[in-house]
Amino acid sequence: MLAQLLALLETRENGLSLFEISRQMKAQPSAVQSMLDLLVKKGRLIEAGPDGKYCAACGLESNCQLLAVHGKRYVLASLFSNKDEAVRIESPVSPEAAL
Amino acid sequence: MNITSSHTLFRLDYGGKLEREIANMTEAFAEHKLDTGHYPSRWLAIKLLEADADVLEHVRTLPNGGAVIELARQSSEKLKSWLGDDVDMLVADRRYGFINGIVRQALKRPHMDRVTLTDRIDDIVTHKWLGLPIFFAMMYIMFRLVIDVSAPFLDWTDAVINGPIASWFASLLDLAAAPAWIHSLVVEAVIGGVGGVLVFVPGLLILYFFLALLEDSGYMSRAAFVMDRFMRVVGLHGKSFIPMILGFGCAVPAVYATRTIASRRDRVLTALLVPLMSCSARLPVYVVFGLAFFGSSAGTVIWAMYALGILVAMLAGMVFTRTILKPDVSSAFVLELPPYRNPAFKSVLIHMWENTREFVHKAGTVILYASLVMWVLLNLPWGVENQRDSYFGRVSGAIAPVFAPLGFGDWQTSGALVTGFMAKEIVVSTMSQIYIGAEDAEEAAEPTTFLEDLSGIGFGFVDAAVNSGKILLSIILGVNLVDEEAEAQDTVLSRALREHFTPLSAVAMLIFVLLYVPCVATLGAIKHEFGISWAITSAVYQTAVAWLAAFLVYQGGMLLGLG
Repeated sequence: MLAQLLALLETRENGLSLFEISRQMKAQPSAVQSMLDLLVKKGRLIEAGPDGKYCAACGLESNCQLLAVHGKRYVLASLFSNKDEAVRIESPVSPEAAL
Repeated sequence: MNITSSHTLFRLDYGGKLEREIANMTEAFAEHKLDTGHYPSRWLAIKLLEADADVLEHVRTLPNGGAVIELARQSSEKLKSWLGDDVDMLVADRRYGFINGIVRQALKRPHMDRVTLTDRIDDIVTHKWLGLPIFFAMMYIMFRLVIDVSAPFLDWTDAVINGPIASWFASLLDLAAAPAWIHSLVVEAVIGGVGGVLVFVPGLLILYFFLALLEDSGYMSRAAFVMDRFMRVVGLHGKSFIPMILGFGCAVPAVYATRTIASRRDRVLTALLVPLMSCSARLPVYVVFGLAFFGSSAGTVIWAMYALGILVAMLAGMVFTRTILKPDVSSAFVLELPPYRNPAFKSVLIHMWENTREFVHKAGTVILYASLVMWVLLNLPWGVENQRDSYFGRVSGAIAPVFAPLGFGDWQTSGALVTGFMAKEIVVSTMSQIYIGAEDAEEAAEPTTFLEDLSGIGFGFVDAAVNSGKILLSIILGVNLVDEEAEAQDTVLSRALREHFTPLSAVAMLIFVLLYVPCVATLGAIKHEFGISWAITSAVYQTAVAWLAAFLVYQGGMLLGLG
């Protein structure tokens, strides 16, 4: 199952959401979620924002309205080469900085 | 028949190579006389091969534990080179495969065409004709609740800040024999400016509570779906509405949220429309004017501002689509609608707290600095008697004629609007400084003791809670349970504003604040994403639209005799 899941994500540069993965694997989202959590913990997958970019660098992670609406996407860590750009985009200009 | 013989101990087969290494490990336990205690040997062998940290730590403390761990490490390395993955991954893969097999064999799922509760709700809330009225009704109810239910707490916060807190600071400064200018700096700039904004914290807490409920329940995605048809009119699709909904909180993350849109043209257009959504920073301005001029209808007026923002965004989008941002190839709108769920109370509270903390932080930094700068400018040249003659008053007075056709051509309002460019909340803090500072916030206060102040704050809070509960029940039951006396409460700033505005000029002012130039942080985000030219475009077109809309409303109202 894990190998099948990793194979599914091999060609998806922007990753897939939980529901897309569970649909393609014909498995319940709750069952797929625990596999995804394990693969994220093992560093095989990266949890990304709705645009497929890195979430972990963003201070809003636990409270992101965008994630609440769109949900996370899971990207294969080996495909994830644009972390530097992701860190840059996930740091919105604060009013103080802009002033 | 021997019953126990029919029970076989379940054992998952992990495959030839892995099973062989597990067997080798259990044999090694016996050879090394390892005391496995209450752990089954097979389980312990698997955990050692998986390099489970807790089990390794435990085994290390046992006699010969180090040798067994070394054997397990060698076995794990061997398995990794044979099977191409870590043992814990191989074990988990086998387990998930087994579980999936059992589920497929044992679980008979109802037919896929079964109608779930989510489907039934979606049939109504995403209905072709009902979807949009339901969306606007939800927004209306939300803003009625935000304004009406928070109003008693708003009065209480206002009374606490401008009453006991202002008087405590004044007494402390008197004790320290502080000069008059420090007195003025603390009472007018810090308490008048920052306190004027902090008054709205209860309202924001309730606003963020409802926004979190809508998001966590799964309704927000439906709102985007419902708005898709309307978004197509302006050459966009429903996906662009999600950044716009986020814009109700703050336009800065909403501008960054346009990254989910594939087409650059769609991204630019969405970012130009996002600042027209009423962000939470504008809410204090709406509440102050709403309560000052429209009393119990304040909720309706504020809702109308939010609806007007959406309407103007549609019109602006249509103009852009037909002029400088002509549509490229339209892409299909595919939006996943997650199932509805009961919002987790803890998650809603965290959402409320995080967003309100951000607002309070802004009040303690940007708005505090702006209030201090404002105070300095209002008092320069040093010792100026009349604020109108200060540098700030003179510059604001020079700009004021621009706003005269809109019904608010005094130097105070034009000054407040200019400072609102930094952050929209500063409009209120500037007005608090100018109007309340001029009126002298302490004049009505009778001398009270510290304990009387504390008990007043406590009883005031209880009164506010009771009145809020009554208002909530009144809205739910449709019966008025609120005393006239409680309804008649008013903030210090509201009273001051009624001397300078009429209801018509107040509406024009609200429309101008809704539509005029986005704050500097939003422009920074647009510049960052799309370049300086689009940031300038945003600032110029919004200010022009705001002026025109306020002009039409005010002059139209005057012609109709509403002034």
